[in-house]
Amino acid sequence: MHIPDNYLSPSTCATLGVTMIPIWKWASTKVKKEMSRQKMPLLGICTAFVFLIMMFNIPLPGGTTGHAVGATLAAILLGPYSAVIAVTIALAIQALFFGDGGILALGVNCFNMAFIMPFVAFYIFKFVKENFPSERGQYVGAFLAGYISLNVAALLTAIEFGIQPMLFTDNVGLPLYSPYGLNIAIPAMMIPHLLVAGILEGLVTAGVYAYVKKLSPEIIYKGTSKKIKPLYALIVSLVILSPLGVLATGTAWGEWAPEELKEFIGFIPKGMIEGFNFSAPIPDYAISGVSEIIAYIFSALVGVGLIFTLIKLLSKSQFKNNPEKVK
Amino acid sequence: MNEKWLLEKDDYVPKKERDTYIDKSILSFLKILSRIRSVKNRDKVFYRIDPVLKVIFTILNILFISLSRNFTYLFILDIYVIISILLMDSEDRKKIMSISFIFPIVTLIMLIPSMMKGNIYNSLLLFQRIILSVLFANILSYSTQWTHISRTLKLLFVPDIFIWVMEIGLKYIILLGEYSTSLLYALKLRSIGKNQDKQGSISRIMGNLFLKSYRMSQDLSSAMECRGFVGEYKVSIEFKLKNIDYIYGLINIIIIVLFVILNY
Repeated sequence: MHIPDNYLSPSTCATLGVTMIPIWKWASTKVKKEMSRQKMPLLGICTAFVFLIMMFNIPLPGGTTGHAVGATLAAILLGPYSAVIAVTIALAIQALFFGDGGILALGVNCFNMAFIMPFVAFYIFKFVKENFPSERGQYVGAFLAGYISLNVAALLTAIEFGIQPMLFTDNVGLPLYSPYGLNIAIPAMMIPHLLVAGILEGLVTAGVYAYVKKLSPEIIYKGTSKKIKPLYALIVSLVILSPLGVLATGTAWGEWAPEELKEFIGFIPKGMIEGFNFSAPIPDYAISGVSEIIAYIFSALVGVGLIFTLIKLLSKSQFKNNPEKVK
Repeated sequence: MNEKWLLEKDDYVPKKERDTYIDKSILSFLKILSRIRSVKNRDKVFYRIDPVLKVIFTILNILFISLSRNFTYLFILDIYVIISILLMDSEDRKKIMSISFIFPIVTLIMLIPSMMKGNIYNSLLLFQRIILSVLFANILSYSTQWTHISRTLKLLFVPDIFIWVMEIGLKYIILLGEYSTSLLYALKLRSIGKNQDKQGSISRIMGNLFLKSYRMSQDLSSAMECRGFVGEYKVSIEFKLKNIDYIYGLINIIIIVLFVILNY
C-alpha cells in the first residue's frame, strides 16, 4: 500500500500533502494537550514500534508471508492523534532512508495510512466496545477495526490510482501516470486486501491488544469522552468522497453551462443569458500561458487553502461561542 | 546402574514444519539494523557534499523527474546519476544498483497490458522516471549520515517536534530491533518438533515489544528530565559551504535550467 513516486501525478501528491498539513497540526496540538511532558518520548519510541511491526513476516495460506501496517494497533493502544504522528514519521523514515514509498507521495501515503486508517480504526473499535463491553466484544472490535480500516485505506489507494488516467493524459489522450482506471485498480487492490491482508491486520491487532490488555491494561489509551465534531466528520467524508465526483458521467452537479441547462430543464433562465456571466479567476483550472499541470497544482493548492481558511474561521467563531473549560 | 533406554539408539526425526517466516522476519530485522549502523566512508567525494544541499536537490530532482515528459532530459539525468554512483563506495554502489532495479522492472511487467493497448511511449517514460527517482532516493540515503538528513528537514519548515520524534524513532529502531531479533531467535530455538502455537507467539512478541517500548519511554523521559529537559527541543543546523558544494549546486542548477528549456 506504500505508493511509490511517479504512480500518481505531482498535483495529486501536492493536493493530499497540503490536506495533511492542518491534520498534522491538529494532531500535534491534541497530543500536547493529552500527553504529559513525561510521556512525550513515547511518541518517538512508538514510531520505532510502528516501523518494526511492519518488519514482522506473518505466514499466509499458500506458503507466502505478509505484514501488518500497525496503524490500527497504534490508534487503539496510543489513541488516534498519537497514531497520526507515529505512523507519519514511520512512513517518512521508510521513504527517506529505505526508499519504501515515494518522497513526493509521502503526503498521499500519510493521508491513507496515518490519518484515515487510524481514525477509522479507532472509532470502529470505540463503537464496538461501547455496545459490546465484554472482553470478547473488545477483541472482536479490535479485529473489525483492523480489517475495516485497512480495507478503507486500500480503497482510497485504489481510487487515487484509478483516477489518474481520467485526469492526466497527454495530447493524444494516453495516460501519463498509473494507466489503469478504477475498473482495474479497485478489484486489483481490494481482492487481496479483503480476502487476506485485512484478516491479517485484524488478527494481529486483536492478538496484540489481548496480550497488552491482560498484562498491562492501565497503559491502553482511554480517550476523551467527547464525540467527534460534526464539522470535522463532514470535512473528512467530503475529502474521501470528492474523487468519486470525477466518476459521475456528464457535468458535475450545479456546474452546468447554459446550453446544458436547456437540455436539462427545457429553458435557459433569463438571468443567465443576459449579464449573469461569472468568470472565475482561474477558469477551468487552466491559466493561459502556463502549462496545464502547473495550473492544476496551483488551482488545487488555492482551493485547499481557501477551504482550510474557511474552517479556521468557522472553528474560531465556534470557540468564541462556547470556549472549552481549561482543565 | 544405567537405565536401559539410555543405551538405546534414538531415531528421532522431527516433523516437517513451515517456519520460514521466522527466518524471514529475523532477516528483515538484521537488514534494517545493518543499514542504520553502516558507517559512511567520509573520504570519497560524494559523501563530503553538504547534506542540506543533497536533500534539497534530491527532492527537487525527484519533483522535476515526475513533471518531465522529455526523454532527453531524463537521459541527461541518467548520466548524472551514473557519475554520482561512480563517485561512491563500491560496497554502496553494488547495494544501490541491486535494490534500485527490482521495483522498476516489476512495474514494467505490470505495464505490459497498457503497452499492448498502444500506450508505449508513456509507459517507457514512466519506467524511466521510476528508475531515476528510486536511484535518487537511494543515493541520498546511502551517501548521507541519517542524523544530517533529519536535521535538514528543519529547512523544509518541518516543526521541531517532528524532527525530535524522528530522531528518537531512528535510535529506538535499533534498540527495539535488537530486542525483537532476540525474541525471534528465542522462539526459533524453543520450538522443537511441531509447535502449533507459533503464530500466536508472533502476536505475543509484538505485544511484548509494545510493553518494552512503553517502559523504555518512561526511562528515557526520566533520563531527559535528569539532564534538564523542559519540553522544548530546538534543532540547529550548520550550513558551511565548501568548494565541492558549489560545484554540486551549480551542476544541479544547470540540470534544473535544462528541465525548463527541454520541457517547456
